[in-house]
Amino acid sequence: MESRVITITSGKGGVGKTTTTANIGTALALQGKRVAVVDSDIGLRNLDAILGLENRIVYDLVDVVEGQCRLRQALIKDKRLPDLYLLPAAQTRDKNAVNSVQMEQLCQQLRAEFDFVLIDSPAGIEQGFRNAIVGADEIIIVANPEMASVRDADRIIGLVEAAGKPEPRLILNRLRAEMARRGDMMDVADVLEVLGVDLLGIVPEDEMIIVATNKGEPIVFEKRSRAGRAFLHAAQRIMGEEVPLDEVTEVPSLLERLRRLVGFGPALAEKRVRS
Amino acid sequence: MGIFDFITGRKKPTPGELAKERLKVALVQDRMKVNPELLELIKSDLLTAISRRLDVDEQHVEIRLAREDHWDKLKAEVPIKRQKISFEWDPPAHTTAVTGLRGKVTVEVEKDDESEP
Repeated sequence: MESRVITITSGKGGVGKTTTTANIGTALALQGKRVAVVDSDIGLRNLDAILGLENRIVYDLVDVVEGQCRLRQALIKDKRLPDLYLLPAAQTRDKNAVNSVQMEQLCQQLRAEFDFVLIDSPAGIEQGFRNAIVGADEIIIVANPEMASVRDADRIIGLVEAAGKPEPRLILNRLRAEMARRGDMMDVADVLEVLGVDLLGIVPEDEMIIVATNKGEPIVFEKRSRAGRAFLHAAQRIMGEEVPLDEVTEVPSLLERLRRLVGFGPALAEKRVRS
Repeated sequence: MGIFDFITGRKKPTPGELAKERLKVALVQDRMKVNPELLELIKSDLLTAISRRLDVDEQHVEIRLAREDHWDKLKAEVPIKRQKISFEWDPPAHTTAVTGLRGKVTVEVEKDDESEP
């Protein structure tokens, strides 16, 4: 199979790039693909923590690029899946420690070993972002349905096209379907109309993500999580499977509805935010 | 968005719609690198051109960017003063097919009292 290098980026920080990278990477590995997830946010590494691999790091991306170690030595094998590997970012260096040529070479090296290489881009539009996309075949944009995030996503789409990459696809993350239905925030259709790109997935706001992050376990392992299922579906779409976009219209389970009725869980949290 | 709006016939945009509209305008400005200063220049250019033919209310001219039907648009609202409107029409050569309308055309509109000194 031809190897694919996919960069996950957003412009704005805090919209869920790293969570998306970790979960789509994990989901692809769950489907039997050989996957490398690369943290290109040099100086501010986080992908290791979301995957629960933070205390296994010996070498990092900068060490590989500078020839301090071999690629295989820096790759950390996931503790749950045999076909998932992490290439961590350096924590004590800055974004200019790597240049575009080196990043492109690194992508080529990774292609030889993996079916999918997912690169977690840093926020912003500077050198770190340019490094993250230089070797990519495809770009995934993560955005939240709010003004600042969509505006930055639009800027990124322009830069991606200017770099000669194919049109990026969108993961709309942290959607609050109930608020959108009431008209209190932008809906999926609004964001798509403004950005004019194809949708790869819709991920609902889900408190279980916070729990999963605290445990260092990607949410795709959590069968009950709607966000987890959404990431799984996005991964299946990347693999070319036709999965209907029903993440938003999905009916809550009986248990979930009961929980809301009694007043526990997500429904209560939303009430608190509103008041 | 409630029963009172229904009764009064007034429809306030929801916060979601508001965000979308603000976003669209911001994006047109970002994409075209149009800033408010440039818009003012365009506005004064437009006024110079239109004022030659029509007496417009310069205080209430509104010009803005919008995105509609996948097009970035420059939208201008130019209110016309309720005054005598007169213009000379000297059609260019290529419009000769239209006969009957040539030379000086004057349209008399009801005069505004305050406009006279």
